[in-house]
Amino acid sequence: MKKLIFSMAALLSTAAVFAFAPASNWQVATGYSVKFVGGGEVGGIFKTFKGTIAFDEQNLATSSFDLSIDVASINTGNGLMNTHAKGAEWFDAGKYPVIHFVSKKITKAGAGYQVTGDMEMHGVKKELTLPFTFQGKGNTATFKGQFTVNRNDFHIGKPGGDVSENIKLDLSVPVVKK
Amino acid sequence: MLKRLLLLGITSGILAGATALIFQKIYSSSLGVDFSNIAKPGAILITNVVGCVVAAIGYWILDKWLKNRTEAVFNFIFAILTFASILPAFSTKLPLDINSPELFPGLVIPMHFFPVLAYFTLEPLFIKLRHTNPHRTN
Repeated sequence: MKKLIFSMAALLSTAAVFAFAPASNWQVATGYSVKFVGGGEVGGIFKTFKGTIAFDEQNLATSSFDLSIDVASINTGNGLMNTHAKGAEWFDAGKYPVIHFVSKKITKAGAGYQVTGDMEMHGVKKELTLPFTFQGKGNTATFKGQFTVNRNDFHIGKPGGDVSENIKLDLSVPVVKK
Repeated sequence: MLKRLLLLGITSGILAGATALIFQKIYSSSLGVDFSNIAKPGAILITNVVGCVVAAIGYWILDKWLKNRTEAVFNFIFAILTFASILPAFSTKLPLDINSPELFPGLVIPMHFFPVLAYFTLEPLFIKLRHTNPHRTN
């Protein structure tokens, strides 16, 4: 009986160690891309992307993302459009210099994953669930995600117009293990 | 007449192209931006020569119709077309890996004025302008 209790305790403690073991920390490597498409001629990239990433496929409970995009790093390929995008009517980069996402929960979803968290953009915070994939190989890996954000939810630009209300985002983030 | 006009077109095109290339070099080195993949030196030279030759042929065609009023109408059209040609420079979308696209119009807009300037500068050397006052002494 004592042996059984001891074995159970050992099993439980091992399980607890794995359950609460911190997920691997990853550092954003060069070559990342954050693209957006807003219909027609509207599209571009954000050139500056930073983040703290802790992710372990076997331990999603302790995995987390804290990502930020520098709004002023927007590049549409056209100087006038860049200035316009950074202006008060759109991103208002002077007042809201960063797009910030902090994860709350990461779950398995089919072949990939889903992260639920708070996206703060243009002074508006909103909970979003975003799909992503993770492909790891040794000490390097790549996170990829494609999703749509409604700019009206964040009061970016005026409703309607030439720019689509649903902005498609395409992220590819290579990372290296810390 | 056409031969002299074509010579004017080629010469002024080369002058405008050379000026544009020098301007590009100075612009790039002083502002630290490189648009040479977009505005390629060969393309700049060819565009200037073609532009000035087309202008010269345009002058020749206009002269067939207008005779004494050719200079006034031609100069006006050439200037208007030059001003109109700068508009696309503002709406050009550059590849996303090119930094500082807002500095691109500053490079190409002055270049659009070089053909008209070169053409008007060299024009008196190649063709006899009809509005020249034959009684002028100085």
